[in-house]
Amino acid sequence: MGIGYAINKLAQTIATIFFVLTFNFFLFRILPGDPFSLLFRGPGFSRTLVNTLNSQFGLDQPLWLQYVKYLQNTLVGNFGISYTYRASVISILLPRLTNTVILLLTATVISIVVGIAMGLVSAWHRGGKVDIAFSTSTLLLYSMPTFWLGLILLFVGVIYFGLPVSGMKSLSGEVTNPFALASMVDLLRHMVLPCLTLVLGLTGEYVLVMKGALLDVFTEDYMLTAKAKGISNAKLLRDHALRNAALPMTTLIAINLGLAVGGAIQTETIFTWPGIGLLTYQALLTRDYPVLQGCFLVLAIAVILMNFLADLLYGYLDPRIRTG
Amino acid sequence: MMFTLLIQLPARPARAQTPSDTFSIGWDSSPIDQINPMLTDLYDGGAWVISHIIYDKLVQTDSYGNIVPDLADNWTWADPQTVTFNLAHNATWHDGVPFTANDAVFTIEHVTANQAIYPHMGQYVQNIASAQALDNYTLQIKLKSADATFFSAALLQLVIIPQHIWANFAGNYSTFTNNPPIGTGPFKFVSWEANSYVQLDANPNYFRGAPHFQHLIVRYYNSVNAMVLALQSGEIDLTSPLLPPTVVPSLTSNPSIQVFTRPDLRYFYLTFNQFPNGTGNPTLRDLQVRIALAHGINKQELAQRVWLGFADVLNTVVPTSLGSWHNPNTPDYAFDLNMSAKILDDAGYKVGSDGIRASPTGVKMIYNIDVPSDYSEEYRAAQLIAGWWSQIGVKATPRLMDSSSLGSEEAGWKHDMVLWTWSADFLDPAYFLSMFTTSQDTCVPGCLGDSGWSNSTYDQLFTQQSQETDPAKRQQIIYELQDILAAHVAYVPLYDNAAINGFRSDRFTGIPAGVIPPFFYFGENSLLLNVRPIGMATETTAMSTETTASASGAGVDMTSLASIAVVIVVVLLVAGIFYSKRKKTSKS
Repeated sequence: MGIGYAINKLAQTIATIFFVLTFNFFLFRILPGDPFSLLFRGPGFSRTLVNTLNSQFGLDQPLWLQYVKYLQNTLVGNFGISYTYRASVISILLPRLTNTVILLLTATVISIVVGIAMGLVSAWHRGGKVDIAFSTSTLLLYSMPTFWLGLILLFVGVIYFGLPVSGMKSLSGEVTNPFALASMVDLLRHMVLPCLTLVLGLTGEYVLVMKGALLDVFTEDYMLTAKAKGISNAKLLRDHALRNAALPMTTLIAINLGLAVGGAIQTETIFTWPGIGLLTYQALLTRDYPVLQGCFLVLAIAVILMNFLADLLYGYLDPRIRTG
Repeated sequence: MMFTLLIQLPARPARAQTPSDTFSIGWDSSPIDQINPMLTDLYDGGAWVISHIIYDKLVQTDSYGNIVPDLADNWTWADPQTVTFNLAHNATWHDGVPFTANDAVFTIEHVTANQAIYPHMGQYVQNIASAQALDNYTLQIKLKSADATFFSAALLQLVIIPQHIWANFAGNYSTFTNNPPIGTGPFKFVSWEANSYVQLDANPNYFRGAPHFQHLIVRYYNSVNAMVLALQSGEIDLTSPLLPPTVVPSLTSNPSIQVFTRPDLRYFYLTFNQFPNGTGNPTLRDLQVRIALAHGINKQELAQRVWLGFADVLNTVVPTSLGSWHNPNTPDYAFDLNMSAKILDDAGYKVGSDGIRASPTGVKMIYNIDVPSDYSEEYRAAQLIAGWWSQIGVKATPRLMDSSSLGSEEAGWKHDMVLWTWSADFLDPAYFLSMFTTSQDTCVPGCLGDSGWSNSTYDQLFTQQSQETDPAKRQQIIYELQDILAAHVAYVPLYDNAAINGFRSDRFTGIPAGVIPPFFYFGENSLLLNVRPIGMATETTAMSTETTASASGAGVDMTSLASIAVVIVVVLLVAGIFYSKRKKTSKS
């Protein structure tokens, strides 16, 4: 795992990001519809004004010129101005990204912990009642449409448990301190339902992969050898089985953490959680290219970064890769 | 489908509430993306609505659509192009600075100078030649040409901004965040998060009388289900006025909630692309075809099936909510499939061997009916229409599209038929009629109109009414314009819907009577200024609500219960099969 390896990976990363930038740029512009022609549906619009708006945002220039400008701006960190919000894309993106990370990170971590635990128990008691119960229930929840599951939880949670319906915080008309204990509790109350929706949906993945990875390991010869040597079950599990099962789990966790940045659009929609998934969807509807490009770039960087880290972590976890 | 079924579950009553000094409104249509009133692109966006609470205009409407004073106490016309306003003496900006005529002059001049970057507001000062402050409280406006809609269109849009803040901004106005927005309106800005919420406080010094509650919150919901639930749980006190009719039963069964309707300022229509330079099916350019197709639509059934009776059949492009501007006598094309078939036969559109009619030159009567994806009820309507037409040898296929793509398709005149809606934010028919003038209906790429129809008599009459200041004479012309459109079947108007609102009548009282959907359209603020919290009575009301509702709560909707039961049974079955299979394999 030398410097050469790391540099190689870095170069690949940069190339991938560049490809994503280019691909997204042209993809959004190929979509039918454009940001301003829909304004005709309101009174008081004319073709002249649409033309003015188009030239104000540089949309009347040749496509290749727009592309070059976009690359230039992105390289210096200028992601442009949103057509709908008329504010810098970064100022819109960052708070929404934070909101998504708060929700999804929590949900993902809970899912991972619960998933690993359930997968472990399932693998250990393979074929038993516990295994069947865990596998069936998580599979079922995993395959449920998120929208439907979320709506049901929303109804039950609001009506029978008095949980809040939407958003990240209660609004009482008074200005509150976001770091006070009461605000924290309020945030947690708002997080319960969306988090639960996500956890119920995500856990299944981890349970199955963990269980599969562990079962693969259990069938290996060295496990039999270790048991024959008299190593206790706990030690067997910890030092031999889990270590090896960690590899596929790492990949899965890395990918999911990266994708988490993209936001869970369905969950954010039902619970009106002001996250980046919802932002992306709304920007798509209004063809707000700068915001769309910004969101997809953030997503791409997150996924690529997490993969890069996973590669490095693999090298650490699996000695066979290091010398390769 | 499942979601609407679940909505039928009656909600448990809200917990006991203390008298509330916070009025919360739910918002679920276009986003709240701006607090700069000049930069809002969407005329009905959340941003636009918020700015009409924070800012005032020279005139406003009451809940019946009459023009009434706002910052202007009264006005006189010296001639059709000169109007002098006497302004209120006691209006103040939220930062305490007194409002004067200079602010109004500044607003007009500022918008005129920045028309290029104020796409929406810029339109409304187009006809203003000059604005002058004759003294601190007298404003004179001179128009370039007489305009019957100056008050009902331009002045109802033009919010007045403070000179002492806007004139001192040295940066680029097209990215002016305007935080905090300072207006003269009944509510002061406190804080906001784009597309999430806006928090406002009552303006105790509001010159027309302070509101009766302390705080106003407008919350954005991304799904109408969540908004309805929020009303039921008490998170909001008023919904935005476009509730789908399917939620009405579950709301009316809740004693804490009052559902009221007003005629909506919108109507739904089917357009036929008749533009000679477009690529729509050319058979639609034949008047006989359009008449026959119009006879093939059962509008009563559409209103009943699609809007569950919360819509009125419409035969003209001016909806009934516009009162006396709506022509009640425009010719109607009664639903009669036999007549449709006869007209098509006589015009030479015979049924071919494949069961589909074709023109004498062989063009088949095959059409796409495009529907925007944010109007799911209308897709249903398109399916019903296609069903009726299939009985007379016309093949129509409904297609759902997102509105941006649809707008783009119309701009390219590529559509056959589109089922869409128009809504206006002023009580004047001119807007609904303007899209059939040649200048608006034959542009390439397309502008306002999407029928491609054009008629010089119509154009002349339209210009005439726009300058006619005698209301009776203007009404005559407006009626004639509607008759012409009906005779030529430029559109098939379908129905205009009722705007359905939900309201927490156990916490607030004072919804004013009226004909305009409250709060939503052109800053008609009478609701916000009239509602007041119900005092200590709320405690006892809530308790009795608890007992009565729990009694009625036993009547859970059977369909929802049945569907949930089916799901549970399926789950158990699957688990059981799984379990028994496992048993078999593990035994071997």
